[in-house]
Amino acid sequence: MFEREVSVVPKAGLHSRPAARFVKTARGFRSDIVVVKDGNEANAKSPLRLMTLGAKCGDRVTIRATGEDERQAVEALAEILSKEEE
Amino acid sequence: MAGRRVTGVAASEGVAVGPLFRYRPQRLEPERTSIREEDVGREVERFHAAVERVARRISQTREELERRGSSEEAGILEAHVELAKDPELSSEVERKIKEELKSPEVALLESAEEFAKLFEGMEDEYLRARADDVRDVSHQIASEIMGVSSSSLFSQMEGPSVVVAQNLTPSETATLPKEKVLAIVTAEGSKTSHVAIMARSMGIPAVVGLGGEAVEELSTASVVAVDGGEGYVVADPDPEELTLFEEKERRASAERESLETFRHVLARTRSGRRIEVSANLGSPGEAEEALRWGAEGVGLFRTEFLFMQRESLPEEEEQYEAYATVARTFSGRPVIVRTLDVGGDKDLPGIDQPEEENPFLGWRGIRMSLDEPELFKIQIRALLRAATEGDLKVMFPMVTGVEEVRKARRLIEECERELEAEGKPKGELEVGVMIETPAAALCAKELAREVSFFSIGTNDLVQYTLAADRGNEKLKSLYRADHPAVLKLIEMSCRAAEEEGIWVGVCGEAASDPDLIPTLVELGVSELSMSPPSIPRAKKVVSEL
Repeated sequence: MFEREVSVVPKAGLHSRPAARFVKTARGFRSDIVVVKDGNEANAKSPLRLMTLGAKCGDRVTIRATGEDERQAVEALAEILSKEEE
Repeated sequence: MAGRRVTGVAASEGVAVGPLFRYRPQRLEPERTSIREEDVGREVERFHAAVERVARRISQTREELERRGSSEEAGILEAHVELAKDPELSSEVERKIKEELKSPEVALLESAEEFAKLFEGMEDEYLRARADDVRDVSHQIASEIMGVSSSSLFSQMEGPSVVVAQNLTPSETATLPKEKVLAIVTAEGSKTSHVAIMARSMGIPAVVGLGGEAVEELSTASVVAVDGGEGYVVADPDPEELTLFEEKERRASAERESLETFRHVLARTRSGRRIEVSANLGSPGEAEEALRWGAEGVGLFRTEFLFMQRESLPEEEEQYEAYATVARTFSGRPVIVRTLDVGGDKDLPGIDQPEEENPFLGWRGIRMSLDEPELFKIQIRALLRAATEGDLKVMFPMVTGVEEVRKARRLIEECERELEAEGKPKGELEVGVMIETPAAALCAKELAREVSFFSIGTNDLVQYTLAADRGNEKLKSLYRADHPAVLKLIEMSCRAAEEEGIWVGVCGEAASDPDLIPTLVELGVSELSMSPPSIPRAKKVVSEL
């Protein structure tokens, strides 16, 4: 298992468009990935679950992955959350 | 008797009169609620096949919206594609099919409703609204499973009509038979809701946010008149109102047609003077659209997009690609690139920008470029190389005097020598300056001897000349491009340019102002650059001078 805590930078938080990009990236990895906010876990490959976390700009979340590509997965996803959408 | 008049939000300009088509989304009522145990595998497969087809269809619509320039709506549909393929939704649907022997359509509608309810219970208004997205997508998939085609939603619409609905989802709006829709009227929505944005990009008049009651009342009318610019709808207009709307329609369509004929002409005054009408661009992606609006060139290509919101500065290669793309798109027509124009109000990765009290009077534009020659030279090298692909020109922002131009020119020469030594092909790069500080206008004579053209940035010139912040509501009446002081500075610049034999363009908002164009042309300006949708009107104004 590999995990990292990051702040959500995109102004829109983990809402529809950023969530879509996040999910697309997550689906590219084989590991099981979850995003944790305030003790609530959401499947990183599910935009529905991710959005119901309600993660907003400035919130701290943990990205946790388990599997063969866990490290790359966490890093790629942390990268998306750490910069404003292009 | 006058018709009933209801007011809403003016969402998309234009007027229309026509029969009403009351759109009520079909309530999907699955006939089959349960399945036999031996069919479980097949039903799960049907569900997945429907998801695939719907996701593909949404993707196609998304691409079409992207091409039409509705990138915001395209973004919503991009999110819909991911929602359709949501693994948690699928596994819940599969569970209901396998364990509860529910038909896939029922399993899906139930699961989606559970998610929608979850969203509706959230505090955040934006997230609450996502319930509609979940319903929209699951509705499409369920229709697909049941073999109800979504294009049949509007199939009962016979002739051209005004579509009246409680609300229209992005997928519904995207599948509207555009040629038959005279206008859109909805009970819900605001100026920024999906339906409003999409109506504007499709050029369909729309009034939204009328409220449910008003829409129900309207629904009994046989004819409605819609004014999307004023934001009202008249049910069963009387003859007088009809005449008024016909008049409005005639004026609007005459205006559209007359502008249409100007879109692709080369602008020329009655006396035969050529005035080039060009586009202001913020990124290479806008170039094609600008050509469609009739741009004769690019008068201002801002390069900030290359530098913002990223972790490292752009390499020469990336910049080269961006400049070369626009140069190629405009095949041989002039493209003026403005070098980086940022200051303390915007962050640049890797550059230590001090906090400034007055960023607009601070370290920005050419000042920063000259202090950071390594950064500046990457941009210049990319420009010199891209100049082989078309008629590329460069101009410097925030210039106050000749010394800055000379320094910048020396850096250009340095880059030329470097490229030569490296054996890399480079093109001719004409050099100009922006006239946007009073100092530049006052030194126009000296500057004109150093460069090939001027481009007057009226937005900043007005702000600096009148010492009036353009964002300050209280100074609105002071912030005017036609203030005598500003016009005098423009005149000085034009006269100096004429004496030294160089040309002058204008790239601020004044360039597209029909009231100011005559003055600018009179003063000697020969190029007007503006946001692309303003081009046809500017060409018309020039042609009537």
